Amino acid sequence: MKMSICALPVIAGLAIAPLGLGGYELSVLMTILFYVILTLGLDLVTGYCGQFSFATGAFYGIGAYTAAIMSRDLGTSIWWHLPAGALVAGSFGLLLGIPALRLTGHFLAIVTIAFQTIMYLAISQWTSFTGGQVGLHVESAGKLAVFGTTLFELGSLRSYYWLTLGVTTVCVLAAWRLVNSRLGKEWVAIRDDETLASAIGLNTTRGKLTAFVAYAALAGIAGVLTAHSLRGVTPDDFTIWISATVVAMMMLGGRGTFIGPIIGAVVLAIVPEFLGRYAEYKMLIYGTILVIGMTLVPEGVIGRLRRSASR
Amino acid sequence: MDLFLQYLVNGAVTGSTYVLVAVGLTLIFGILGVVNFAHGEFYMIGGYAGIFAVTAMNLPLLPAIVFVLAVAACVGLAAEAILHRPMKDRDATSSIVSSFGLAVALQNAALIVMGPQPQRLNLDASKMPLLSELPTEFGPVFLPHQRMLIPLTMVALIGALYAVLRYTWTGRSLRAMAQHSTVARLCGVRVDRVAMVTFATGAALAGIAGMLMSSVFLVYPIVGNMIALKAFTVVILGGMGNVIGAAVAGLLLGVIESLTSAYVSNSTRDIVGFVIVIGVLLFLPNGLFGKSVGRS
Amino acid sequence: MTRLSRRSFLTAAGVSLATPYIARAQSNAPIKVGGMLPMSGAASIEGRQVLLGLQFAVEEINAKGGLLDRKIELVIEDDESNSTKGVTAVRRLIERDKVPFIVGTYASAVVVAAVKVAAEYKVPMLSGGSTAAAGTDQNTPGDPWFFRSWPDSNKQGEDTAKAIVEKFKKTKVAIIHDNTNYGVTLADQVTRVVTAVGGVIVSRDSFNAGEQDFSSMLTKVRTLRPEAVYIGGWAGDGANIVRQAAEIGLRAQFVGSGSMLSDDFIKLAGPASEGFAVATVFEPSTPNPVGRAFADRFRARFNQDANTFSSIGFDSTSIGLEAMRRVGRPDGQEIQKMIRGGMKDFALAQGPAGTTAAFNEKGSVDFPDFIAVIKDGKRRLEV
Repeated sequence: MKMSICALPVIAGLAIAPLGLGGYELSVLMTILFYVILTLGLDLVTGYCGQFSFATGAFYGIGAYTAAIMSRDLGTSIWWHLPAGALVAGSFGLLLGIPALRLTGHFLAIVTIAFQTIMYLAISQWTSFTGGQVGLHVESAGKLAVFGTTLFELGSLRSYYWLTLGVTTVCVLAAWRLVNSRLGKEWVAIRDDETLASAIGLNTTRGKLTAFVAYAALAGIAGVLTAHSLRGVTPDDFTIWISATVVAMMMLGGRGTFIGPIIGAVVLAIVPEFLGRYAEYKMLIYGTILVIGMTLVPEGVIGRLRRSASR
Repeated sequence: MDLFLQYLVNGAVTGSTYVLVAVGLTLIFGILGVVNFAHGEFYMIGGYAGIFAVTAMNLPLLPAIVFVLAVAACVGLAAEAILHRPMKDRDATSSIVSSFGLAVALQNAALIVMGPQPQRLNLDASKMPLLSELPTEFGPVFLPHQRMLIPLTMVALIGALYAVLRYTWTGRSLRAMAQHSTVARLCGVRVDRVAMVTFATGAALAGIAGMLMSSVFLVYPIVGNMIALKAFTVVILGGMGNVIGAAVAGLLLGVIESLTSAYVSNSTRDIVGFVIVIGVLLFLPNGLFGKSVGRS
Repeated sequence: MTRLSRRSFLTAAGVSLATPYIARAQSNAPIKVGGMLPMSGAASIEGRQVLLGLQFAVEEINAKGGLLDRKIELVIEDDESNSTKGVTAVRRLIERDKVPFIVGTYASAVVVAAVKVAAEYKVPMLSGGSTAAAGTDQNTPGDPWFFRSWPDSNKQGEDTAKAIVEKFKKTKVAIIHDNTNYGVTLADQVTRVVTAVGGVIVSRDSFNAGEQDFSSMLTKVRTLRPEAVYIGGWAGDGANIVRQAAEIGLRAQFVGSGSMLSDDFIKLAGPASEGFAVATVFEPSTPNPVGRAFADRFRARFNQDANTFSSIGFDSTSIGLEAMRRVGRPDGQEIQKMIRGGMKDFALAQGPAGTTAAFNEKGSVDFPDFIAVIKDGKRRLEV
């Protein structure tokens, strides 16, 4: 309840933002929204359910390529791509969830790295299907039509931004519902003590798999949005660097909190925009922030605030 | 058949570097529970330190190796202060993220200081005493001195490490830590010292690997990425924390990659290890040589 | 909190009030032109070399008193070789800095995403190293917004293949390439043309950029006894392959892709680099007098030899600046028209003597590549 009161003005502000902002600012805002979805998804599986993943980039790419390939072969629009991207990425999430049933933290981390690497090589080398390194062209999002009547043109940056904002809001709400549901509580129980969770009769298999599916589906949706925003996909946009960036956003914001990863995504997506002139030092600064952040506030900024507040 | 033997030997040479890097990684994990994603950077720093020792300081091979060992050990001590000391009593996730951050920072520091161009260590192994007297052709197999140096060093260092772990007080306290840190502490093992020794040893081994390989291959700021991923594969296959397991798995991975490159296709060599690791973990979650560990 | 926001409101109001004055003052302010290159990440190796060419071109113009009575200011954005980043960078350059043209970028995939946006703003882009045909192939013929003042990778592959078969008289060719867009397209084209002019491809292997151990792959290639080995990829990998091939006794004519040849290559590959050949658009010893003069001035300024990357950056930037001078004002649409058809007399540093910025309808300049060979540890042009 408290959350929705805080969220409403933010969403309202973001909704009227295009009226006063140029294309560059909208572009940055959209990038932030993509990262918000990705980070929130990772928070579900890692923050709430305790299963580490370095494969966000892979699911993000699967969503984007689902959109690109459907638009190439079926000529469909974004309204089909969004559910399809979530579905396809979610299925792969289920696949990656299976090893998670047997492996703990660091082992799982390595398997997800392996998955990410294999996915990248598959996308970049299966040229006949994915366009290889050159990638694929994606038509711009088109329009929202009901029974042949156009309600909403999505060709322009501004309307596409609104669509992205809308989808992001839905994703955030869905994630909020999930973590506050019985399932979400089960995730936390698995994270805190898996043996205990299964001892009290929770279905840990179901818990872990649903967390992975939710995580992958959210990343898939972000991928579909990105593919239409860039009007194209290439393998190099979905590398392990994306995965690592998203992990950093979640950890610095505070894993296992809801608002923390969102704030982490916003901050780490904006910071590079101000480092433009110091591009050479960008990654050095970024790495140092991670080390210092993990040393000083291992539970993340929001996690720390919350802990000191409860004292 | 002749070619097959050559492929085996090629694989054993690259496998030896995997062993050197992976043994340090598995020690650090087994003893301290730290998942060190910055381990590949020890390799990278070893490569640059070797080039510095040989070209700028004009050191002969053995003093150069000692220099690299010293530099890498210092880097290892620094890494311990960053990745382990402040993170004690936390789960592995913290060390995963902060070691990842450290890796990114070190790579980009190297990019700024050393420049992006690859470099090579000009080390003429064929002029080295003792080594130069060995033949380079063994029946159908050809092995230049430069490459021969790598498995030889690996065997010497891993043998020494094994002896230390087995027969010295330090080695015993390291193994005690790995088995049960609380009990080890109660028995008077100084945890801080063990942590420092472990990191310094792990870094030194990786540093030597980096130095030797930079005379055969090239060294550049992000060279550690791939080698670290390979080492992780090896560590999992060998069982996390298992030194002998890592040694066997490292050689095995090198040979499998070499054979894949020769008989399947070269571009799949980098993923074959990952495919094996996923398969192994699904059926043997503790690796090929790992003991089952109760959890919770 | 309240006070802070009031102050920032006042600042914002102050800025909007001051805007007309700023606009007037701008007539003497420098004209900003855009550069977008990978400054971080793996491709920053090449990005930073191209950047020298951009900076050198702008420096020279400013030393002559600037353009249209104003100084030129180069604004650089880092695209990290990432399309999302590249699209944002293009918008920032155009909206914030009002640049009339952008030199960039290196990664062809980023070019493809970025130029769609730049074209919407009516701002032309000039390649900062991207050589893949994909960059110019997506242009609308007759109305290109992405310009590349040298031939695409297909032409380079064709010239290389012809050199292997017709010049070096080698017909059994083995191909090794990395899995980047650049390596794959070159290998495809070399395969096609070698076969077409009477050669045979005996093997084709690929590797992942940055791979270190090629010994087993090369051992296998040696058993096929190729007369020539073509390597498509980056310089570091090329040097690694050439040296490891010599170690295992694979003797053949080695031919590499355009960007491989450099003094670094010779240093890394050592004596094994002897006889190594590439098809290239520029060499400091070029017979092209414009290129030669550029190489001399570049050497005097930076105390290092100009290379393909710096010449590419220099030419792209010079074309943009000259087109702006001819148009008379920093207007993207007019500059695009000028580059498209009005620069046929503007001489380039790249290519053989007499090469000019005569863009074809796809936005590319066609000229034959040089064949450069390493002899006695030095780069030599075979004319």
